[in-house]
Amino acid sequence: MKINLSRFFAVFASAVLLLSSLFYQQVSAQSSANAPRAFAITNARIVTTSGADIERGTIIVRDGLIVAVGAGNLQVPVDVRVIDANGLTVYPGIIDASASTGIPAPRPTQQAGGGGQNIAQFLQQQQQAQQQAQAQSNSTYPAGLLPEIAAADLIRTSDSSIETARNSGFTTVLVVPRERIFQGQSALINLSGETAGEAIVRAPVALHLTFVPLQVGQFPTSLMGSFAAVRQMFLDAQQLQEAQRNYEKNPRGTRRPDSNKSLEALFPYLSRQTPGQAPIVFQANTEREIGRVLNFAREFNLKAIIAGGAESGRFAEQLKAQDIPVLLSLNFPRRTSSTSPEADPESMSVLRARAEAPKTAARLAAAGVRFAFQSGGMANYTDFWANAGRAVQAGLARPAAIRAMTLGSAEIFGVADRMGSIEPGKIANLTVVRGDIFDRARTVTHVFVDGRMYEIPAAAPTTTGGGGANAAAAQAIAGKWNLTIQLGGQTVQATVTLTTQRNQLAGQFESTLGAAPISQGEISAEGFRFVVKLNVGEQVDAVFAGRITGENQMTGTVTAPQGTTSFTGTKTP
Amino acid sequence: MKKILSLFLIVLFVSAPLSAQQRNTAANANEILIRNATVLTAARGRLEGTDILIRAGKIAQIGKNLRAGANAQTIDATGKFVTPGIVDAHSHAAVDGSVNETSYSVTSMTRVHDVINPNDINLYRALAGGVTVLNVLHGSANSIGGQNATIKIKWKRPAQDFLIPDAPPGIKFALGENPKRSHSNLQPGQTRRYPATRMGVEETIRDAFIRARDYKAEWDEFREKSKRDKNLTAPRRDIELEPLVEILEGRRLVHSHGYRSDEFLMLLNLADEFGFKVKTLQHGLEAYKIAPEIARHGAAASIFVDNWGYKIEAFDAIPYNAAILYRNGVSVSINSDSNERHRRLNLEAAKTMKYGDVPEEEALKMITLNPATQLGIGNRTGSIEVGKDADIVIWTAHPFSPYARVERTMIEGETFFDREQDVQNRAALAAERQTLERDEANRPSTSPRATQPAVPRERVKADLDDADDIDGGNHK
Amino acid sequence: MSSKFKVQGSKLIFALLLLTAHCSLLTVSAQLSPPSQQNQNGQAGTFLIRNARIVTVSGAPVETGSLLIQNGRIAAVGANVNAPAGAETIDGSGLMVFPGMIDAATNMGLMEIPLGAPGTDDDAEVGDMNPNARAIVGVNPHLTHIPVTRVNGTTTVLTMPQGGIVSGQAAIINLVGSTQGEMAVNPAFALVIDFPRVAGGFGGGFGGGFGGQTPNFEEAIRTRDQRLTDLRRMLKDAEAYGKAHDAYAQNKTLPRPKTDLRLAALVPFVRGEKPVIMIANREIDIRNAVRFADDNKLKMILMGGNDAWRAADLLKQRNVPVIITGIWSLPAREDDAYDVLFENASKLQRAGVRFAVASGDEGANARDLPYQAGMTAAFGLTPDEALKSVTLYPAQILGIADRMGSLEVGKVANVVVADGDILDPRTHIRHLFINGRKMPLNTKHTELFDQFKDRKLPASQ
Repeated sequence: MKINLSRFFAVFASAVLLLSSLFYQQVSAQSSANAPRAFAITNARIVTTSGADIERGTIIVRDGLIVAVGAGNLQVPVDVRVIDANGLTVYPGIIDASASTGIPAPRPTQQAGGGGQNIAQFLQQQQQAQQQAQAQSNSTYPAGLLPEIAAADLIRTSDSSIETARNSGFTTVLVVPRERIFQGQSALINLSGETAGEAIVRAPVALHLTFVPLQVGQFPTSLMGSFAAVRQMFLDAQQLQEAQRNYEKNPRGTRRPDSNKSLEALFPYLSRQTPGQAPIVFQANTEREIGRVLNFAREFNLKAIIAGGAESGRFAEQLKAQDIPVLLSLNFPRRTSSTSPEADPESMSVLRARAEAPKTAARLAAAGVRFAFQSGGMANYTDFWANAGRAVQAGLARPAAIRAMTLGSAEIFGVADRMGSIEPGKIANLTVVRGDIFDRARTVTHVFVDGRMYEIPAAAPTTTGGGGANAAAAQAIAGKWNLTIQLGGQTVQATVTLTTQRNQLAGQFESTLGAAPISQGEISAEGFRFVVKLNVGEQVDAVFAGRITGENQMTGTVTAPQGTTSFTGTKTP
Repeated sequence: MKKILSLFLIVLFVSAPLSAQQRNTAANANEILIRNATVLTAARGRLEGTDILIRAGKIAQIGKNLRAGANAQTIDATGKFVTPGIVDAHSHAAVDGSVNETSYSVTSMTRVHDVINPNDINLYRALAGGVTVLNVLHGSANSIGGQNATIKIKWKRPAQDFLIPDAPPGIKFALGENPKRSHSNLQPGQTRRYPATRMGVEETIRDAFIRARDYKAEWDEFREKSKRDKNLTAPRRDIELEPLVEILEGRRLVHSHGYRSDEFLMLLNLADEFGFKVKTLQHGLEAYKIAPEIARHGAAASIFVDNWGYKIEAFDAIPYNAAILYRNGVSVSINSDSNERHRRLNLEAAKTMKYGDVPEEEALKMITLNPATQLGIGNRTGSIEVGKDADIVIWTAHPFSPYARVERTMIEGETFFDREQDVQNRAALAAERQTLERDEANRPSTSPRATQPAVPRERVKADLDDADDIDGGNHK
Repeated sequence: MSSKFKVQGSKLIFALLLLTAHCSLLTVSAQLSPPSQQNQNGQAGTFLIRNARIVTVSGAPVETGSLLIQNGRIAAVGANVNAPAGAETIDGSGLMVFPGMIDAATNMGLMEIPLGAPGTDDDAEVGDMNPNARAIVGVNPHLTHIPVTRVNGTTTVLTMPQGGIVSGQAAIINLVGSTQGEMAVNPAFALVIDFPRVAGGFGGGFGGGFGGQTPNFEEAIRTRDQRLTDLRRMLKDAEAYGKAHDAYAQNKTLPRPKTDLRLAALVPFVRGEKPVIMIANREIDIRNAVRFADDNKLKMILMGGNDAWRAADLLKQRNVPVIITGIWSLPAREDDAYDVLFENASKLQRAGVRFAVASGDEGANARDLPYQAGMTAAFGLTPDEALKSVTLYPAQILGIADRMGSLEVGKVANVVVADGDILDPRTHIRHLFINGRKMPLNTKHTELFDQFKDRKLPASQ
């Protein structure tokens, strides 16, 4: 098969570009640095998570900590700034139990779009990247097998992803580096502070492990190779630890064991003779992935946490019995593709997995498994709330859902003594919400992080990646277009006149197949879409989906119940 | 307190496998009586009008007019044929991720049983062809490949249940053009991997065994010394060499892929040099040319019955291979190496009666008892004999007839494929699909941001042998 | 071959080639060729097979009867047939007599070793439009596949080019002969169109890493539509080309049209004089192909047809025959019933669609045809129908039922004598006749078998 990856890379690179463009957005809602950091939030509904909800109460925050919480007429100090939270609900700061927030996404190494990149260049870049990673860590292991990589070293407080997450209602994130296999060691950070040191609550929290292979001609290139590589490293770490201990006991007369940064990074996670064994977070979603990592954890007597956990409900009893927590992804699978009679129906396994995903949380809760919600790489944080809501609909109690993004997470990360609930003495991380937190219509009005107040602008972006439709796209599409539609080897000519209003598209379609106004027209960054009702013996909805490909050029597909065909269009000047 | 804790831990770790076992016993506690079948035992000939009594997953009795307990399930097999479950000694089904770890030419550290995918639909289709056991092998891109997994197709169960606990471990070797990477397309910027000739393949294997021998010596020395010195640090454990030490000690079965007679002779000589036995020659297209040498070494052959000519190295393959090997006293199994072919291994075995007049029972053994023995599980499966696992297939006609269809496939007395149920389930599945498609998460997106549907596939890969890129390199 | 020749119509060419085929056959047998050569071409003569079960396929079997082969034809079939003088008598006690099987989809003779020996591969021309590529020209009569296939009972095959959109012209050949002419039954039976479609093939890719790198859906739709447009344009051009040449032939005062090999080759097909084989497997592609054939007035035969049972209504209504090649393919979708392709034939039969079972094999494994057909009988067909699906039915679809496909007096003597059911893999073929010639049963495989079956370890070892 002929391989042409240029298109793939073009798409990939443009996605990365979009991400990095967020970098430069500087929308700050934070007060100036010397503003007093003492607040009273009054008349609020308070969900403490540690105790009963307070229907109407006050929270006093001072110098980064919660100093008082109470119902009704709590004494408000005279020197604090009062925020009337009438009609608002205050939750403990929401924790995202896994994301790469604050770690800049890799940037494309060359300008994409030319389509000139080939496999060789790609491999070369990969090798360079690996060599760089190696040089940085001074390890003999390739990138991917460097457990010493630490989120704490990689976090950049200027990264726009921090603000996006905070605007979406998060105060705290368990930040995981972006590597594969050994992803590295995570750090729990508050989404505030000038320096990483200021932001970090606890680091390292855990070592994160996926078994996704390297795939660039370097061991391991296969899933089974990944298991072998990781297994060998654990064995080597065990051996090195023992050798170093024996050497320390009696250094004279024996050659000292080599120092090895990568293996030594594993020491805290080994079971043997390690007091306070640190946890390893295994990325595993399907039943078989979870089964595998549980076996692996047992093989080395590791303290395991499951991340992802889509099918972890099937292991609920075992997870409960072995006290293995789950960082459950709320990035529930969902069909994102359009439909066409030319496409195959999706497989039952895919359909079932999507329908089952929201039920997992309730299963874990019913069995008493500790779990926390994570964003799981979702494209838009609004899914976090909406999907938590779906989990509630699927049987998860509301308090349990709240707990899974607050106190429950804090417990798993060993910080429940300082955050996760609204109690005096705890870190003043608060998320203030108007409306039902699980409802799409809810808005986050304020976020307090380490006692700093952030007022959330109404239209703050919540997308973690791509952007929306822009004015240029709307302008490019408006006008009269001559379309050539393919129909079984014949062509049909048509014209369509399009007008735009924001992201809406309206207009008239005319051809030998008939004339009709267009309906359901929409524009986005990815393209446009509209429907034409045609009478071809029977009434059919022809769905036009396409994109602008150049100056006055468009291309796309028309889908009707009979099949899908392509069309091209030229704009008449 | 400590005691309680350790007790608790024991309960924890034992509880999971236990529950699976309990399920097993529960399902199998009731007896099953298969009545009045024509039984092809693959060991003691053909028995007409015979009953088989299954108890606790084992074959308890074989005979006429057997009696079962009151609660026994009875299966009337009048007019039907019963055979042992088919054992496929060369498969790549159920492997998650790549079947080859292509980076090195020696990848003995990889294990197929780390990556079993129990949901592979090909497993069900194999069951529907009467297959109960698969030898799931690493690909053939490596002189010494990964460790195999011998599994029973316990469909719908977790992967852990598929592994046959007492099956001896094995490993894949490969000779000739695949480990040479003759058919792999080198990407620009990639360097060619050593070895590139059959000479280099021999040296690669020899080098690995010399390293394994040294490794073993290092550990033997350590064990000896540590009797006196308790403070000695143990040598590094090397999971690449450990399986090779097991081979040297006769504790791991070597399943070697190969085509030409010369490359097999090379391996047999090398094995003699290092004092181990090669268990099976896989594919063995030219094995017939050296049948006496294979018999002398004691190796078995696991072959295609008549697949040939798809590449130069397969041009001298003949369908009489099985007959010649059999007549030389070599244990022969017919394997599929293919998600397509494993659905009709019965017909593949039947061909040995045509090509070289292999007797009927011997032909049946080539897909049952012989492969079971080659995988070291002939004591528990592969024939219909009292005391063996009730791994049983019920056919509508003689399994060597093209008109035969599998009615039921049982493993340890439990039915994992039932034709009648399969047909009945189709309507329910269609209804379930309708419900699922209505689920919000499954509705097609109508937004202009919608991604495109996947390009449908017209054909799926069937052959996993090295005629394509799964067990070998990349081809056109 | 000149384009003019083709425009004159297929019948003449056919007759001419048949004539040359017969002449050369006669010359070969008259000559004293080297023994092995003569051996592989069989031996002409008069043969009487006696005391056998004659499975005529077209009618009821003769339980104990005789079949007479004379002058290349079946001269008599029945319970009592007298041996003419000089006839070689073959005792058929315990044996069964069948018509030679016809495999209606192969690349026989065009490709010996797919991998590592490109010099042996002549199955796919460069480019998308090769209507003038004729399989008969590429067939290597001396390929190892030919004897290997015939000794399992297949005596006639359709062999075809592959690749591109218009792959070329398929030939019907008997599996005997020293030259292509000797083999030809119909040297240019049908045009093969790999009907443009959206579906991808196997996927695959680089090192497993970028595996499954398929074009995206929109791109696949666009490519398919472009290919359809190209195909339709070429067919329309061929129509115009034929019209212009005909007109010019009538009236030389008209401007002389230019000559174009490709368009000339297409003329009989766009006029519906000769069939067009359209390869399509998914339901939507099958329906599109039928519509396309209707629009362009093509005489369509569907090949592949994995989903044909889903489009049975349309195929029945349009009387489109189906050459099924996917009995032993894997179901394309995870949720397909495990037996969806095993049952395809029986579902078509019940729906009244004409069909044949073919191997679809490039050559080496075409000998498995009978067992594929046999398996359809495990999944719904009667064994009689399964046998017809590889004898009479393909003969009908390939337009040679007047000469082949059953044991009837006057038909070409392609006859198989076996010790059992020809569809059963345990059965041995005992005698084989093609064109009435008694064929040897040796092949490369039997020769290697003979060479190695008694090999012992050298005494020194």
